[in-house]
Amino acid sequence: MTFFFIIVRGLTRRPVRTGLTLLGISIGIAAVVALVGISRGFEKSWETGLKARGTDIVVSKMGSSLAPKPFSDAVAAVILKLPHVAAISSQFVELLSIESSQMMMLSGRQWDGYAWKNLKLISGRMPLDAKEQAVVLGQTAADALKKKVGDPLQIEAAELTVVGIVDGGAVVENGSAVLALPLLQEIMGEQGRINVIDVRVTPGTSEAELKQLCTEIVRSAPDVTALAAGDHLSNSQSFRMVKAMSWGTSLLAVLVGVLGVMNTMLMTVFERKQEISVLLALGWKPSRIVRMVLWESALLGFLGGVAGVIIGVAGIKMLQKTEAIRGLLEPDLGIGLLLSSIVIAVVVGVLSGLYPAWRSSRITPALALQG
Amino acid sequence: MKNSNTCVYEAVALKKEYEGGHVQALRGVDFRIDEGEFVSIVGSSGCGKTTLLQMLGALDKPSTGSLLYRGQSLLEMNDPSAYRAREIGFIFQSFHLLPTFTALENIQIPMLESDLPASERRGRALTLLRSVGLEHRAQHCPSKLSGGERQRVAIARSLANGPSVLLADEPTGNLDSENARIILDLLVRLHEEQKMTLVLVTHDMIIARKAGRNLRMLDGRIVFDGAPTP
Ligand SMILES: Nc1ncnc2c1ncn2[C@@H]1O[C@H](COP(=O)(O)OP(=O)(O)O)[C@@H](O)[C@H]1O
Ligand SMILES: [Mg+2]
Repeated sequence: MTFFFIIVRGLTRRPVRTGLTLLGISIGIAAVVALVGISRGFEKSWETGLKARGTDIVVSKMGSSLAPKPFSDAVAAVILKLPHVAAISSQFVELLSIESSQMMMLSGRQWDGYAWKNLKLISGRMPLDAKEQAVVLGQTAADALKKKVGDPLQIEAAELTVVGIVDGGAVVENGSAVLALPLLQEIMGEQGRINVIDVRVTPGTSEAELKQLCTEIVRSAPDVTALAAGDHLSNSQSFRMVKAMSWGTSLLAVLVGVLGVMNTMLMTVFERKQEISVLLALGWKPSRIVRMVLWESALLGFLGGVAGVIIGVAGIKMLQKTEAIRGLLEPDLGIGLLLSSIVIAVVVGVLSGLYPAWRSSRITPALALQG
Repeated sequence: MKNSNTCVYEAVALKKEYEGGHVQALRGVDFRIDEGEFVSIVGSSGCGKTTLLQMLGALDKPSTGSLLYRGQSLLEMNDPSAYRAREIGFIFQSFHLLPTFTALENIQIPMLESDLPASERRGRALTLLRSVGLEHRAQHCPSKLSGGERQRVAIARSLANGPSVLLADEPTGNLDSENARIILDLLVRLHEEQKMTLVLVTHDMIIARKAGRNLRMLDGRIVFDGAPTP
């Protein structure tokens, strides 16, 4: 019989209580995995989306909603004249409910803009010109809408035809419906307005020159933000809020787990007072008692962490299968996140065990002979 | 008088107070216990027997006075746990087996503080269990054992790390007379065959008379120290 065996037995002696405690901590950890995984995945796929479009700087007006605020397309002409700017591609981006999909990214792209060039046709063709009532769908968007080439697609009041299915090289792109800018402007009643300008810089532009360009863009056009592709999302007000909320919610859930473990360990120590004093009378060092409590607590954390990771990952997989968000969700469930979630759980376990362990160290062996 | 190197315990003016002096459990006791002795301690309830045993087992510290174990002060010992683990074995009135462990596992619990490798603990525990005649109960939890069996497992556990002294506080107090006799015979056998020093607290004069020496206590003092009177 080993010390570890005794620790395990300490947890199995009250299976229901241990199970409930595990449930508590695992829900906290599942929240960490799911919420952090989703927000990180969103951030990452946004970045790869920009890279897939070949964009170095994104110019937009970020408000408090998920889609940026529209501004005049005259800004594009101004930006094109600035140094180091190789090409621009204006867009009108909107998140809309289309037919069976509750939320779909619509991207109206400047007809001669470079953002079209990264779309690889899988089937069908590209629109013939900026006036054709046509739309191409990213793969996942096509799946979500259950559309194939030739099918009609209703966007607001307009009836368009799906002429092609494309691979955009990134989740955001693949989840989008892409059409010509003037067409979307007309549908949305936003003629002459855009809300995103993708900027591509000349090769060899340095990091410092890129920053300089950003400040010049901001100066030349009032109220817009210009962000190098890498920092784009982390500077968005709404995304920052989503991120803070996902961490906040997770930490709150973890805190509930901490209280659960602490409560359980305190109960364990109190109800085993007599046993602990007997162990001391039999020659166990007080430090071994403390270790026993801490290990039990850490083991609770570890098991809760493993269960939480499983619940979190399973939950996300189920979420991905739901109709409403299929294709839009690409969580970043890297091994790093999963391992650090388990580490968080173990740390939570040890921290929650500190006070109960201290209480256990105050138990005297003399108790063994009384009663 | 025996040679001084065979002296196991020596107490001088040993006092123990509780609750800031309101309770005087030991009011100055002097005695000496030699290697291989069987000493019984009797006295009415509350006279300080358990307190005395707590001092001998280093479960608590005396308020004043001195208490030596083999010439070493128990008060100044820097690791009382090691003393409890290796030098003495405790036997309690209510057995105090751990309820969630089998008989065999209970016996191994004190061995975690010994140098015995994990692989040998089980074997040693089995040997001890056999020596108290309970090898067929190895996988039983305490709740499945009778009182007498529990106490025999507890005695096997007290021997886990090969102590030279056994301290027993009313070990037959919760047993019927038949089981009490079995336990007493077992303890006497250990004392005789393994030359163990045995200090036994009891209410029962019949048991006390089996000892080579009898200490009678009254109100925190030793009022008689000598061969048991018939
Ligand atoms: N921890 C304690 N706190 C206060 N009083 C105690 C404590 N332990 C024992 N006593 C008191 O000390 C006296 C001796 O107790 P004890 O040694 O247990 O007696 P015995 O074992 O002979 O019945 C009793 O009056 C008892 O109430
Ligand atoms: Mg007593």
